[in-house]
Formats: sequence, structure tokens, C-alpha cells
Amino acid sequence: MSGLFNNTLQLWQWAVLAAVPPLIVLLYFLKLKRRPVEVPSTYLWRRAIEDLHVNSIWQRIRRNVLLFLQLLLVALIMMAVLRPGCRGTTLVGDRFIFLIDTSASMGAKEPGGTRLELAKRRVIELVDQMSRGDVAMVISFSNEARIEQSFTDNRRLLRERVQRIQGTARPSDVLEALRAASGLANPGQSSEAGSPVDAQVAGALPATLYLVSDGGFQQVPEFALGNLEPRYVRIGAAAANVGIVAFTTERNTEKLDQVQAFARLENRGVEQAVVEASLYRGELLLDAQKVVLPAGGGGGVRFELRDPEPGVLRLAISASDALAVDNEAFAAINPRKPATVLCVTPGNSALQTALETSAAKRLATVTFVAPTFLEDPDYERRASAGDFDLVLYDRCAPKNMPLASTFFLGSVPPGEVWSSGGKVSPVAIIDVERSHPLVAMPDPTHVRIVEGFVVKGPKGARTLLDSQDGPLLAIAPRESFEDAVLGFTLVDADGKGGIQANTDWPRWYSFPVFWQNVLGHMAGGTQSESAPTVQPGETLAFRSLVPVETVRVRGPAEVNTDELRRSGQGYFQFGATDKPGLYSVYEGDSPEPSQWFAVNLFDGRETDLTPPADVTIGASQVTAASGGGQAGRRELWKWLLGAGVCVLVFEWYVYNRRVYL
Amino acid sequence: MTEPSATSALLSPQLMAQLERLELVSRKIFRGRMKGERKSQRKGQSVEFSDFRNYVPGDDLRFIDWNLYARLDRLFLKLFLEEEDLHFFTLIDASASMDFGEPSKLAFAKQLAAALGFIGLCRADRVKIETLGGARSRPAPVLRGRKSLWRMLEYLEGIRPELNVPLSEGIRDFCLRNAGKGIVVLISDLMDKNGYESALRWLIAQRVDIYVIHVLSPAELRPDLQGDLKLVDCEDRDVTELTISRPLLDRYEKTLAAFVNGAREFCSRRGVSYVMASSQTPVEDLVATYLRKRGLVR
Repeated sequence: MSGLFNNTLQLWQWAVLAAVPPLIVLLYFLKLKRRPVEVPSTYLWRRAIEDLHVNSIWQRIRRNVLLFLQLLLVALIMMAVLRPGCRGTTLVGDRFIFLIDTSASMGAKEPGGTRLELAKRRVIELVDQMSRGDVAMVISFSNEARIEQSFTDNRRLLRERVQRIQGTARPSDVLEALRAASGLANPGQSSEAGSPVDAQVAGALPATLYLVSDGGFQQVPEFALGNLEPRYVRIGAAAANVGIVAFTTERNTEKLDQVQAFARLENRGVEQAVVEASLYRGELLLDAQKVVLPAGGGGGVRFELRDPEPGVLRLAISASDALAVDNEAFAAINPRKPATVLCVTPGNSALQTALETSAAKRLATVTFVAPTFLEDPDYERRASAGDFDLVLYDRCAPKNMPLASTFFLGSVPPGEVWSSGGKVSPVAIIDVERSHPLVAMPDPTHVRIVEGFVVKGPKGARTLLDSQDGPLLAIAPRESFEDAVLGFTLVDADGKGGIQANTDWPRWYSFPVFWQNVLGHMAGGTQSESAPTVQPGETLAFRSLVPVETVRVRGPAEVNTDELRRSGQGYFQFGATDKPGLYSVYEGDSPEPSQWFAVNLFDGRETDLTPPADVTIGASQVTAASGGGQAGRRELWKWLLGAGVCVLVFEWYVYNRRVYL
Repeated sequence: MTEPSATSALLSPQLMAQLERLELVSRKIFRGRMKGERKSQRKGQSVEFSDFRNYVPGDDLRFIDWNLYARLDRLFLKLFLEEEDLHFFTLIDASASMDFGEPSKLAFAKQLAAALGFIGLCRADRVKIETLGGARSRPAPVLRGRKSLWRMLEYLEGIRPELNVPLSEGIRDFCLRNAGKGIVVLISDLMDKNGYESALRWLIAQRVDIYVIHVLSPAELRPDLQGDLKLVDCEDRDVTELTISRPLLDRYEKTLAAFVNGAREFCSRRGVSYVMASSQTPVEDLVATYLRKRGLVR
């Protein structure tokens, strides 16, 4: 009895139960009261049932179908109270958190479906193994975590929510999902640990964390698991995959009528792969190259496009591997748009010369105005409308900061954020922050400067040039703009109505290069042609080519999104970038797209389809488990009771419909 | 001609007016006992000329065509069609089962017998209406001529559904007592638990022209029964317990169809005319349409 059955009744209770079937039979023999009806002849009725009498046993069975159904019901109840069971697996613990990876790599095809489908099936199996009273929650994650179902013991609901999980084309970041899980399992961590003001609103309850994934995410050794007991359910098997991890276009700096398209491919298989990379504009094949990729390595491919028109480019590789999303990449060449730069100066020939070189003209259209223009209402209007990409203030400052990036020469922005920290004379440049593109120029340390001041920027400001007394050039972000302040002037008034040089910098090569960098980096002059690319799910901020209040974005699914309104900083923000492909921007009521941006996966971890044998979560090295639970007894009594209910319903049907004799 | 007063419920004046124009037809040649209004295939002494034939010695000289003898100098005999009467029997099953239905099968049988009998009386046929097994207790009159209509109707109205005689026994009794040939119309529901076949075989052996009018009530054709019932046979009080459901009703209807088809098949193979009629069918329709098609009347 202890193997298959687990008796739950005492002997006398069994005796009572055993008396029920004979009682039913007895009651059945107390014949049914039938209404007498006189008929002309029973001749035809008898003939109608004659063939049923041929097999009298069968006839009796049919006649007694209700009796047999009742006996079957009692038998099922008796079987149920015996609590039959079989060997199975049950989950250890009573609180479970299922983290389901929905990143792009989970869309890889495996025998039996995609990895996500296998993961969902596996989680449903685990939910089925939960015991009564166990609670579980479901979190899906890619580069963001989503709580599909908070803690519940309703297994049907859990199964439904798991079924509803959809795959994404996003990269994966397990940290956010772990934080969400940890926040629910370790509520005390919601405030500072050990803090006397930590309210400890709920007690920390241990929970088992099932990470159902192919492991294509960055390991998180710094994460504190707390009460979480991690288990790694590995999904998928190692599979060869070739994918595009980068694709960009850039104008050839030597041949300005050419645009170069670069792509990087990676081969995550154990064998060398030869793929053909084809570049299309729309459906038109522009070029194709064969690329040999060593096992586990990568390779680049470059296409030269002579004087390309603005438009969209698509790169496709001829690899029939398990993951399709990384076999295609998109880029776009946006219309060339020189930046609009306003230079407010009382007169500075050196600066004017530097900003009017042919190279600078390609990057920006610079308008020179006197400081009196700052009082003009036209300036106020254009500055607050975000018409300028960059405003240069030479020895002057506006009353309010414009909706544009700014560069201050020998002056500081209004307000208390920036300040000058005292005069320095003479000034020696002692250090250059060469990693910043603004000062990527020949060494300026030999430049002589008569007088200057130390620049004190806001928190987060980056010092690009350092003098002996402190920062001389600093740059700091302001919302979506950047402000830079140079702590010396190029020329000064000589007190006699003329001007005198304050520095010999304009004589050095670094001077025009620096201003070219200013136009390219701060005004966005170098970035205007190649369309920006983001990963799926990321938010993109862009500016319109013409000043409009609303734009529409059409994605690869050909679905018009709602109109986007310009934010306060003059930017439009677009977040519905879930689907990889090209997104066209329609400004105002224009029927033609004015610019494009691309959404590409470009993630080597997603391209790598080999699931790791173990993952690092906090201090734990979690090895993939083949099963999710431990051996245990699976109770079958519920199924028997369910069958009993079905029998009862059928009996009711038979009784009501008088199905047969 | 004076119409009998007893037109009663069995024969309406309109129906009688329709029936007067009809006559009973036999598909077989019978020798009647008396001269009737009917032309016989037998040559005889009526006024209706049929044919000539050569005179042979011994022929009745009264039938020699003297005009022809004068013209051709040869003796020819004129032949005339014999006119004779027809023996028309109607056998009514007056068992208790015939008292069912709305209208009852027995009422329908009586009305039909009256109609057919009236046709026979109008044509001076020999009409005899009997109930199965009832002839001994209440002998049936032999009727002839329209003047007998009142007696016929009186006899029909006196028939009660109380004679639960098995079909075969009733017909055998009839056959033993009525050896003569003619037309026999059997009006019955054929619901005999011993089968109707032996009964009909008795009639077939008589070499009479047989018509079987199989009467079924609507309650038998489409029973309006449902649920747990104890069906009691009104004749032998036999009890059948049933839980009547749609499948069982379907099965009953199939059995009924097989029963009717079996009877029709049995009859047609043996030269018996079979007509199945619902007791709801108007008698005039049955006579004027179905029986006319079957050739019983014209």
C-alpha cells in the first residue's frame, strides 16, 4: 500500500464506504415507477426493441447504464481516498521565481521550437511540479525586466502568463531582472542595509530563483543574492552562428564624394565559415563580398559607395544558421546638413579665419554677429526655438542659456553653475585630456597665453585643458546639450580702442584643428550624415532638420506611430524601437521621410549561441541543472476526483436525456 | 328513388353523390349467382351485342341472326354479353386496438366500408360486411340494391370494438363460411402478434380479388410518448416497460416503416392490393384517389 497507494481511511470508514455500492444496487432494484399508458398494440414496440434483446447481457448493461455510472463514481472515490501516487519530481522550497530570458538569442531555432518556446515549456513543467500552497512569480527579461506575474499559488494563472510571454530582439541584461527578483525576495534591501531608518516593512523570505536562459548575458559577480537560491536551467545546445555585430557608414575624409560602409562579422562556430555579405539599397544590390571567418573569430568588410544619395542600406549575410536576427543589419545615409552655428563676437579675426576654412564650411554654416545682437528679439526667439546647433560667445554672455550647445571664450555662462576661479598670468597649458574628441589635436602645451582664468564647472564637468593653477578648458553636459568654457581670450582690448593678442595659439596647427573639432563634435557636423543606430529597446533622441513641432516615425512593421512632440530641449524622443530595421522620420506633414535611423542587434553575446555550462550570479557559480526538482511522489487523487466529476456530469446527462433504455 | 334516412355520420349526402357515379371493379372473372348490372366476360343473354359465331347444331335457334342468313345464306349465331352481379365482401377488424386514434381506426373502417358498400349497392352488387369473428354472434346481412343502404348503415353502426379475435382465426372463419368468389376488402391495422401472413394466405387461397386497407392512427405513425412508461396492450393486457427517448422513437419509426413495407411486399407478390391509410385521411380522398388508382373502383 505504501508504494502505489497511501491509505487515508480507518477500517470502520472503509466499511461505511464499502457499503455504498451494495446500497446503490439495492436502491436500483427498487424499480423505477413507470407511468402506465394504454396503447393499441405493443407489437411494434416489442419489435423495435427486439434486436436489443438478442444480446441480453449487453441489453442489461445498457438498461442499467445509470447504475454502472454510479458504481464507477463510487469506485473512483474509493480509489481517490487510497491516495494513489507515482514517482515524480517535486520542486524544493515553497517560493519560486522564474526568470525567463526573452532576448534575441532565445529566438534561435532548436529541435522542437525556438529556445523561448523550450524555456516556456520547461517553466510550465516546473510550475506543474509545484506542491499545493507553493507560490511563484514569473519575470521575463531582455535588457529590461518585466514582472509577468507576481507571487501567486494559482498555477493556471502562472501557466497562462508564461504562455503569453513573447520573444524580443533585444540584448539581454540579467542584472535588472535579478534586482527585481531580489527586491521581492529580500524586501529589507529596499532601503539601506543596517540603516536605523530602514523600515523593514516585510520579512525576508527565502526563494528559489530559476534562471531559464541560454546564458547569453554578462555575468553578474557583484550581485548580492541574499535569500535567493539560484538555479540555472540551461536552454538550447551549442550551435554555429555567424552574425553582424557592427555596421556603419562614414564619409571618406580623403575622398569627400565617397561614403564607406563598414561591417564586422563574427563566427561563433567551431568551424571556419565562408559567408557572402551583400549590400542593398532598398531592393537594389549594390555590392557583395565573400568573407572568410575563422572558427570563433571575426572579420571586417568594407564597401565604397561613390557619391551616394541619402537613403537606406541593408547588409545581409548568406548564413543559414539558427539565429536569423543577426544576419541582417541596417544603416542609413541621412541628408547632409551643415550645422548652424552662431558666433557672437565684438571682432576676432583669428576666430573668424578658423571658422571659415573650407573644411569648417563643410561642417557648419557660421554666422557672425556682434554682442548687441543678444538684445535683439530675433535672437531670443531663435535661441529658445533651438534653431542653433552651437552658439560661440566670444568675451560676452547671454542673459539666459539658449537651447543649443555653447562655447564661451574668455567668459562664463550666466548663472551660478559656472564661475571663474581667479586670474592666472601667464598661463601654461600643462595637461591635455587627449581621449576627448574636442582636443584631439597637435600638442598645444607650447602655446603661450598672457592672461587667463581658472574655469570652475558644475559637477560632472570634464577638464580638457589644465593650466598650472587649474582647469583652463572644461566641458559639461546641460540636459541634452553641452557647454564648454575656455578660460582665456584670443584677443583683448588694448585700452586704446584697438585690440591686442592674448595668445599666440592662432599661429599653431592645433588652432584650426581645435575649432574644426568644436564644429564637428559640439555642433554635430560630422555626425549628420551617418544615421544613428541603436539597439532594440533603446530610446533615441534626434532633432528635426527643419523646425517643426511634431514628427512621425514609421518603423519596419509599416506601422505609423503616434505623432511625437518636441521635448523642451528641442529633441524628439522615440522609444518604440523593439523591432530591428530602419525607421523613417517624417517631419510635420511631409509625405517624404527626411531622415532615418537604424535599430540593429549588434551584440556579440546574442550572436554566440553556445550556452555556458555555468553562470556567475553574485558569489555563486551556478551550474546548469538537468532537472528542476528532486525525486518525490506525485499524487494522482486529484485526477481521480476530476474523473469522478466527469462521470457525475455524464450520469446527469444520461438521466436527463434518457439516452437509451 | 327514396334515400334512406340513415345517412348518419358514416355517409354524408355529398359523399353519396360522389360515390353514386362509381362502381366496384374486379380484376378477376367471377360467376355471380344472379344477373346484375355488370358485364361479364361470359357470353350470355343480355341486350348488349358482343360477337358472331358459326352455328353448330344444338345452338339455341333464338340467337340465329336471320337477317344475316337472308343476306349470306349462312347461319350465324349472335352472341351477347352476360350481365351479372358481383360478390363484394368487406371485412372489418373490430378488435380493441381499432378503437384508438382520433378519429378512431374503427370509425374510419366503418366509414370506408359504408362508402364501398354504397357503391356496390348502387350497382346491384351483392354486398356483405362482416367483422372478424363477429359473424357468429351477430350474423352479417347480405345486401343488394340501394334500398338496403339503411340496413347496411344500421349494421355498421352496431359494430363495437370488442371482438379481440386473432386476425388469422377471423379470416379463416370467414373463408370457411363464404366460399364464393368476389372482391374482399380487409380493413385492419394488421397488428396481430402472430403475424398477418397466415391470415392473408387464407384469403389468397379463396382466389378472390383481395384489397387490404391497412389503417393506422396518427398515434401509431408518430407516437407522442416520452419518458419512463409502462405500455399496456389494450387487447391482451401485455405490458412492456420502456424509457422512451428520441433514439427509441427513431427505432420505432424504422420498425413501423419496415412493417408497412413488409406487408406491402407480401401483398404485391401475391397479387393482393395493399393500401396504407391514416385514420385521418378523408374517406372520399381514399376512395376517389387511392382506391381508384388501385383499380377497386372506377
